[in-house]
Amino acid sequence: MRLPRQRGEVIDRSDGFEFRWNGRARSAFRGDTIISALAAAGERVFSRSFKYHRRRGVVSASALDPGCLVQVGDEPNVRGAHRQVAPGMDVFAQNVWPSLDFDLRAGARWLRRFLGPGFYYKTFMAPRALWPWYQRLLRHMGTPGGTVPRERSSAYFDKRYAHADVVVAGAGPAGMAAAVASADRGARVMLVEEEHALGGHLRYGAGAHLAELSRLRQEIARREEIEVVTDAVVFGRYDDNWLGIVERRDGGGSERLIKARTSMLVVAPGLIERPYVFDGNDLPGVMLATAVRKLIRLYAVRPGERAVVFSANEEGDAAAADLEDAGVEVVRVVDGRRGEGIRRALGSSGVREVELDDGSRLRADLLVTATGWTAPTSLLNMAGCRPRYSPRAARFLPDALPRGVMATGALTGDGSLEELVAHGHAVGEEAARRAREPDKDIVEIPALGEPAHPELFRSDTHGFVDFSEDVSSKDIERAADEGYTSMQLAKRFTTATMGPAQGKLELMNMAHVHAESIGVSVAEVGTTTWRPPYVPVTLGALAGRNFEPARRSPIQVWHEDHGAVPLVAGQWIRPEHYGNPAEEVDNVRNRVGIIDVTPIGKLDLRGPDVPKLLNLVYVNKWSKLPIGSVRYGVMCAEDGVVLDDGVTGHIGEEHFIMSTTSSGATGVWEWLEDWLQTEHPEWRVLVTPVTSAFASINVAGPKARELMQRLVDDVDLSPDAFPYMRVRRGRIAGVAHSFMWRIGFTGELSYEIHVPAAYGLYVWEALMEHGRDLGIRPFGVEAQRIMRLEKGHFIVGQDTDGLTQAGSVGIGNLIKLDKPDFAGKPELVWQADRGARQRLVAVQTLDGAIVPPEASQIVKGAGSRHILGRITSSRLSPTLGRSICLALVDSDATEDPLTIRLPDGREVTARALDQLAHFDPKGERLRG
Amino acid sequence: MLLIPCVHCGERNASEFRYAGEAGRRPDPTSASPDVWRHYLYGSGNPAGWVTERWYHRAGCRRFLVVERHTVTNTIRVVRPAGA
Amino acid sequence: MRFPRRARFSALNLFRKGLTGESWPPSWTQHEIRPTYDVVIIGGGVHGLATAYYLAHNHGVRNVAVLDKSYIGSGGSGRNTTIIRSNYLTPEGIRFYQRSVELYQALASELNFNVMFAQRGHITLAHNDSSLRTMRWRAEVNKLEGVHSDVIDPQQIGELAPYLDVSREARYPILGALYHPPGGIIRHDAVVWGYARGADALGVHIHQETEVQGIDVRDGRVRGVVTSAGRIAAPVVVNCTAGWCTLISDMAGVSLPVSTFPLQAAVSEPVKFFLHPVVVSGSLHCYVSQTDRGELVFGAAVDPFASYSTRGSLEFIEGLSGHILQLMPSLAHMRVLRQWAGLCDMTPDYSPIMGPTPVEGFYVDVGWGTYGFKAGPVAGETMAELIATKKTPELIASFGYERFADGRLVGEKGAAAVGH
Repeated sequence: MRLPRQRGEVIDRSDGFEFRWNGRARSAFRGDTIISALAAAGERVFSRSFKYHRRRGVVSASALDPGCLVQVGDEPNVRGAHRQVAPGMDVFAQNVWPSLDFDLRAGARWLRRFLGPGFYYKTFMAPRALWPWYQRLLRHMGTPGGTVPRERSSAYFDKRYAHADVVVAGAGPAGMAAAVASADRGARVMLVEEEHALGGHLRYGAGAHLAELSRLRQEIARREEIEVVTDAVVFGRYDDNWLGIVERRDGGGSERLIKARTSMLVVAPGLIERPYVFDGNDLPGVMLATAVRKLIRLYAVRPGERAVVFSANEEGDAAAADLEDAGVEVVRVVDGRRGEGIRRALGSSGVREVELDDGSRLRADLLVTATGWTAPTSLLNMAGCRPRYSPRAARFLPDALPRGVMATGALTGDGSLEELVAHGHAVGEEAARRAREPDKDIVEIPALGEPAHPELFRSDTHGFVDFSEDVSSKDIERAADEGYTSMQLAKRFTTATMGPAQGKLELMNMAHVHAESIGVSVAEVGTTTWRPPYVPVTLGALAGRNFEPARRSPIQVWHEDHGAVPLVAGQWIRPEHYGNPAEEVDNVRNRVGIIDVTPIGKLDLRGPDVPKLLNLVYVNKWSKLPIGSVRYGVMCAEDGVVLDDGVTGHIGEEHFIMSTTSSGATGVWEWLEDWLQTEHPEWRVLVTPVTSAFASINVAGPKARELMQRLVDDVDLSPDAFPYMRVRRGRIAGVAHSFMWRIGFTGELSYEIHVPAAYGLYVWEALMEHGRDLGIRPFGVEAQRIMRLEKGHFIVGQDTDGLTQAGSVGIGNLIKLDKPDFAGKPELVWQADRGARQRLVAVQTLDGAIVPPEASQIVKGAGSRHILGRITSSRLSPTLGRSICLALVDSDATEDPLTIRLPDGREVTARALDQLAHFDPKGERLRG
Repeated sequence: MLLIPCVHCGERNASEFRYAGEAGRRPDPTSASPDVWRHYLYGSGNPAGWVTERWYHRAGCRRFLVVERHTVTNTIRVVRPAGA
Repeated sequence: MRFPRRARFSALNLFRKGLTGESWPPSWTQHEIRPTYDVVIIGGGVHGLATAYYLAHNHGVRNVAVLDKSYIGSGGSGRNTTIIRSNYLTPEGIRFYQRSVELYQALASELNFNVMFAQRGHITLAHNDSSLRTMRWRAEVNKLEGVHSDVIDPQQIGELAPYLDVSREARYPILGALYHPPGGIIRHDAVVWGYARGADALGVHIHQETEVQGIDVRDGRVRGVVTSAGRIAAPVVVNCTAGWCTLISDMAGVSLPVSTFPLQAAVSEPVKFFLHPVVVSGSLHCYVSQTDRGELVFGAAVDPFASYSTRGSLEFIEGLSGHILQLMPSLAHMRVLRQWAGLCDMTPDYSPIMGPTPVEGFYVDVGWGTYGFKAGPVAGETMAELIATKKTPELIASFGYERFADGRLVGEKGAAAVGH
């Protein structure tokens, strides 16, 4: 029922609208939460519990409220007592079947005595064939939570960074005072508040509180140095005061992640009210004092007609007063400070009667408890603080804190409003001082008083400790009986504290019940580590916008315009082929083709000591490579495993260009830097990565020279002047600062040309234009793969793996073991001594029409399961009209022919060739 | 997010760096026995305490740094350039 | 094994005790620590407890103590993401993990404790050619070893896991996957508790909150351990720790080629069940499964630098969330409830170190990296056999301590990936 206007109400009665609850229209005011609007309409039941499907209503009227999780449209698990209602919102109860009012699965309550903690570990073990059905049954009985949609969300999630001097987490009176004081001391402040407005408990307080609230809000609004973020929570404090903050936006439909590096973190989260454990404590109508006060003061909702209040502190007393103001008949105030107590609440769909511990019963539809507080020390724990339990205060209090973290407000002790504000002020000043003077000593702020509060956790009956997991105090006792005698074991066994409230409502009660059951004090039991996130955060907020950069050569736009099928090659997008790779191969072998090889790694090396570096990283020798010459090299890691390969050219005086595989580009660069900076800082070598500085094109085929001669005027391209494995600098299609080398990956006469990247497309188009009458066609990565395979050129990472040492890949002559030192040499010496365990060989199936899929296993004879090796590369060769492969095979395998087992189970026979090349083994075509 | 005090760039987020393992001495490749060489390849101290290791400032000055870090608290006490 | 009627877990007993209100006997007992044992096992996780169980059950060696500095299963056993599979790369690896899968399949009845092994199927996605080739490699070797695996195409993947984005429009489109139907998830705590209960019933002493502070070695052989509860003499001491394995082994003077890295994981709020198989993506470095309670359990690769910190980091959960949403874009509104970390002892070849050491009587079952939990049963079975018979079982012959000095690394290094 809606009450008349309340002084501090947050609803706007001039802005009313409708929304839907389980398909039926309901009304609300702007500022209502989903639950407050429904409660104003007299609803009391909002969900069914996880295991027993018991009716649940408001407990805390906060984001933690376990019985108030609802589905809003596509969004599951919305905190209904925190999320503000919007016009047209479609809200549903979760996990009910068929409906909230009539949930068939509530029949589980009759089985409750058989469904104790961990009952599922004690049964369903046999017969095993039925296990999947048992699982489905378990799932149907209890999967809490809402539904995830199939379609992508349209919500927008982004992230931002913040750099503050002081972040204040919590805007109650102490937090607000701290923010103001810090700002006045010159600090940049960020004030983060989880509610929709600043003020904390002042918002639902009496006149003096509201006046102070107004004053503090004005102080904050006046200071530009304070950035205020509401409906936001500091959910994590990570190394070096790196904070994760989640800010809800779009009325909660979207979230933003704020990552803040701050000098000082001031933690002022206040206290969380703790439920009391007794029989019937989960009935709708049993709620906390703070819940009652919020419903009345903030939302003008009368929470019931006849109330019993069990109070052990001032909050309970204030709740009783608020209830009377709201016209609720307060039948009795049971005073926990005087040893009075309640025993149980009775009712079925809601509270009907309350039994006191003297046995008397009172009729009531509302039972309010105020039995104490839980200190939300999470952020302090994350900073390495170990709070200590105070039996006098019946809660944890912070202990020693690192320099960068301070705490204020009710978290640290009790005090009057003035004392809280004064403490916040002092902490804020000190925080700003520490932020601005990091080298000065810290000043300790005297703590607030340590409060006295009766230790009231459980009456003499058993009740729920974890509402969302449906775990009772009896369950926790049973866990101890069964040997789960540490808190962690009891938690895992009963699943208490593992629900959506993340332990904030449950942990202290659980600790107390557990401590009782094993006969120790709460202080001895300790609690468990608080881990981030302090509140649940959406995957969307954590992911933000998906930045996965793609790299494209300057010529890629041409490829896509001309029908290239894109290939994702690492971060690069490249043309796989233009429609018919076999034809592309044929064209290169018989006429001329061009391929965009820009992603090839290129490193510019300058200095007098470059040959020393080359000698160190490659297995072969480089000291005598003349200017204008190019050499192929293989690099190994220090364990002798092949790391990368490529050609390096001596392009000018003390100037080399090294090429690497495209996926190895960054790794090789770092590898060179590692050697130069760590082992040989005395070598004079400068390394500059130029992979994207040059667009690279391979011009290949018998007509390649003819084409190049049309485009290059300042270099003599005749075979004697520019033989195979040479490099020349010059102008290509008029573009200066270009260079080209004759190498032979495809096995044809070819020029790999490198032009400044901005001219890449221009040169490509020039080639296409000038080559038209020569039959020029572009070719893609697939055609190149086929051709290199025809020539037996291995690809690092495909024909080699994480264990393949250089001696295995058929480059025997290349490995110069007489060099004094090179990366991996010792292992290669030992490999040569004992013989390589595996060898790379060229393989051809006896039936050339069969193309064995890559990774097909080579086995020791028909029907054998003994593996001798595998096919690493395999294609149908258009040039030879048959299949061709490379394979890694055990060196001691003598089988001939080899037996290959195809994935479909068939076995085929094959022969290993004497050399790696299937085509033109003497390499006559490329030396032309 | 750990802060690493790069000698050239100041305190930077650890995500700018690549961890390069415990700092070890490369044995003489001409004389090292397999045992010694493989200890260099595979061995590690792995202390729960102070360790000397290397980091590469990948997204910054691109220099290798030698760092002393406590592996339990992730506190860093010394940073100097590699090869010094 | 058989439990006495009163203590046996069964539907009948559940019903009986429900009616009478009688409580169950404790699953394990707190014993007085003895001054000597025949075998001291350091580490009360699945490896240590399984070793103790099989020593007692298979070999009649019952005078065994399992020591843990905290509560049982507090280390890797309680922090892993519960994935069981045997679709490894090498024949040795496959045979080893396959034995573990077989033991897991029979474990609930063997231990009379429902460990809730759900063989939901395990999918390892390939987003590029190289990865697809590796999946094919694994599939072929699996088949030759009699393990059910094969490569499937995007359409088949979409049928098994409808929420996955198998379109060509993804930034890193899925090209195919390795599908391993026998793989699945399990209740990790239940495995620990089941082995503890079984070992305890056979006479093994489990001493929790008992920290090993030193190992007595004299004349090249082990004599016992020094603990926070006093000295224990024992001729056999077994290191079954993870995260601390080098700290313990250093106490015996045995150095191990291990670096300890944190491995983080996270769990979401529960939602209605929608993901049947376990999904792993090597290229995107992440994996996800959904428990029967509806929570998603996610993880990724180890942290980028070695440390003993089990604090979670923000950059981990950011990166992981980004990759999960690339795989299943409609999960944006799901919330992460908890993140945590365990410690992984990484070896140079993604394989454990098992067997005797140069110190006589000191055995190791360590170096378990990111694949330790799935190997618990087979590690226990083989270590028990080794300790009882002094002969190294064939299944663990390639995991010996000497292999690094010999340069004989295990072939799993051949195709390094996010292994889960």
